Amino acid sequence: MPELWTRSAGELHDLFSQGEVSATAIVKAHLERIRALNEDIRAFLFVDADGALQQARLEDQWSIEERKARPLAGVPVALKDNIVTRSMPTTAGSKILGEFRSPYDATVVDKLVKAGAIIIGKTNLDEFAMGSSTEHSAFGVTRNPWDRERVPGGSSGGSAAAVAARMVPVALGSDTGGSIRQPASYSGIVGFKPTYGRVSRYGLIAFASSLDQIGPMTRTVEDAHRVFEVIEGYDPHDSTSIRDASGSRNTESHPRRVGVPKEYFGDGIDPYVREEVERGLHILRDQGHQLVEISLPHTEYAIAAYYLIAPAEASSNLSRYDGVRYGVRTEARDLLGMYEATRDEGFGDEVKRRILLGTHALSAGYYDEYYLTALKVRTLIRQDFERAFDEVDVIVTPTTPDRAFRFGERSDDPIRMYLGDIYTVTANLAGVPGISLPVGIGDGLPVGLQLLAPAMADGALLALAGELQGALEPMLWPEEAHK
Amino acid sequence: MELKDSEILHVARLARLRLTEGELAPVRDDLNRVLEYVEKLNELDLNDVKPTMHVLTQETPLRADVCGESLSVEDALKNGPKVADNMFVVPRIMDGGQENA
Repeated sequence: MPELWTRSAGELHDLFSQGEVSATAIVKAHLERIRALNEDIRAFLFVDADGALQQARLEDQWSIEERKARPLAGVPVALKDNIVTRSMPTTAGSKILGEFRSPYDATVVDKLVKAGAIIIGKTNLDEFAMGSSTEHSAFGVTRNPWDRERVPGGSSGGSAAAVAARMVPVALGSDTGGSIRQPASYSGIVGFKPTYGRVSRYGLIAFASSLDQIGPMTRTVEDAHRVFEVIEGYDPHDSTSIRDASGSRNTESHPRRVGVPKEYFGDGIDPYVREEVERGLHILRDQGHQLVEISLPHTEYAIAAYYLIAPAEASSNLSRYDGVRYGVRTEARDLLGMYEATRDEGFGDEVKRRILLGTHALSAGYYDEYYLTALKVRTLIRQDFERAFDEVDVIVTPTTPDRAFRFGERSDDPIRMYLGDIYTVTANLAGVPGISLPVGIGDGLPVGLQLLAPAMADGALLALAGELQGALEPMLWPEEAHK
Repeated sequence: MELKDSEILHVARLARLRLTEGELAPVRDDLNRVLEYVEKLNELDLNDVKPTMHVLTQETPLRADVCGESLSVEDALKNGPKVADNMFVVPRIMDGGQENA
């Protein structure tokens, strides 16, 4: 039998619910894999071996029926460390939270546990999810399992690397401008950002509240679907949680009309990325789907709008880190001095940069020029998608213009780092779902293909992504590819 | 429009950040690069465009006003860096501040 840590969540669930392996054996196999690799990859910030084994022993007492009734029974899951947990520390990749222990579990954690998932640890991220490389974590970088000299992407880089390196079959990430899909693309795995509001944000440490969304990172689309069905749903603790998902446009018609936005295949795209994504498009065409050239004309303004809106929201959300109620405090003579000293010591450079940018964009005299302008451009981007989805069922693009880059390659140029988000931020601005799946390997590094669908069409999106993944060669994984 | 050092220090003050002298120059360069880049948005005619604050089209109704569980005082205070008598302790605000034991 193949090693348990090579199996998908679906396979592990089947093995466990058919009584063929114990949850304890599954957890031990993954813990061993983590022990062997994490020192080098540094995907995990915290591994709760005792807690995971305890939960596994509990599940081993379950009857076959109880196992079958829980879609993630026996499945080890990792959480991006901006999702709060009672039983483990939560850092958000920042020094400022100190020894923080959440007094409650995030809604997604409750849902995972109820579905039988075994939470195995917390993964590294750019501080407060601000970054595209996981280089901005206060706890050091995570390495890309495909090439240890390269970034895994970000900000959910720890989750991506953990899944890609077979340390865990499922991890949750969060996506504000591409932070699930971009690292999935760089690391050769599946990353799914659901429609805004489908998954509760209760217990997700807020970055930009109108854009943030939690989603699954897995190796198969089927697993992403399985996890999505567990974590989605209305939550009274999140006022932006969608109450009624029945208006969804989940037409499963065949063939599907597949939009190919010409703006997304223009200059600046890595030739390997273009080649692999075009290969994916040919497969869709061979499957009988109809390719339609479309236009999303305001895409070129998306980065500028995003890098005003997200920092503006962040500057407000991060005002809570003031050394009073949680986290670290740097003492000073008076209250104001204490705030400043605490925040100055606790926040890293990228977080400070974005807080300053956001504060400026919202400040008296600049609000109209920057923030309001960006919100209007957000409307244009939304309308681009509305028009496009009148014509097509789904849109296919590269997930990123490039493949994983080397450490330090973009650190000294924020604009260059930000431009890497060009194909992913539009989905957050418009609130639509997007998924990145590994479509091939270009010169040793994975390439991701992104599918976007109308809001609430998450099911149809996953169905088509699954169909496409089924027609692709099985994705190798780093150790196999390098043999 | 380029931000001057004095304006950056003003924004830092608003954001309750203290920029050291070493931090100021790189922050100024980075912020100005970003602000120069976002000027791109001025190419668009936005006069008749309404802003999108939020993408949700569904209503976000208030929940029923019923009592539920809430955090215990102990839980609410357990992460506080300085706590006394069921309260968070902060430095003195009045009289220019002073050490409080």
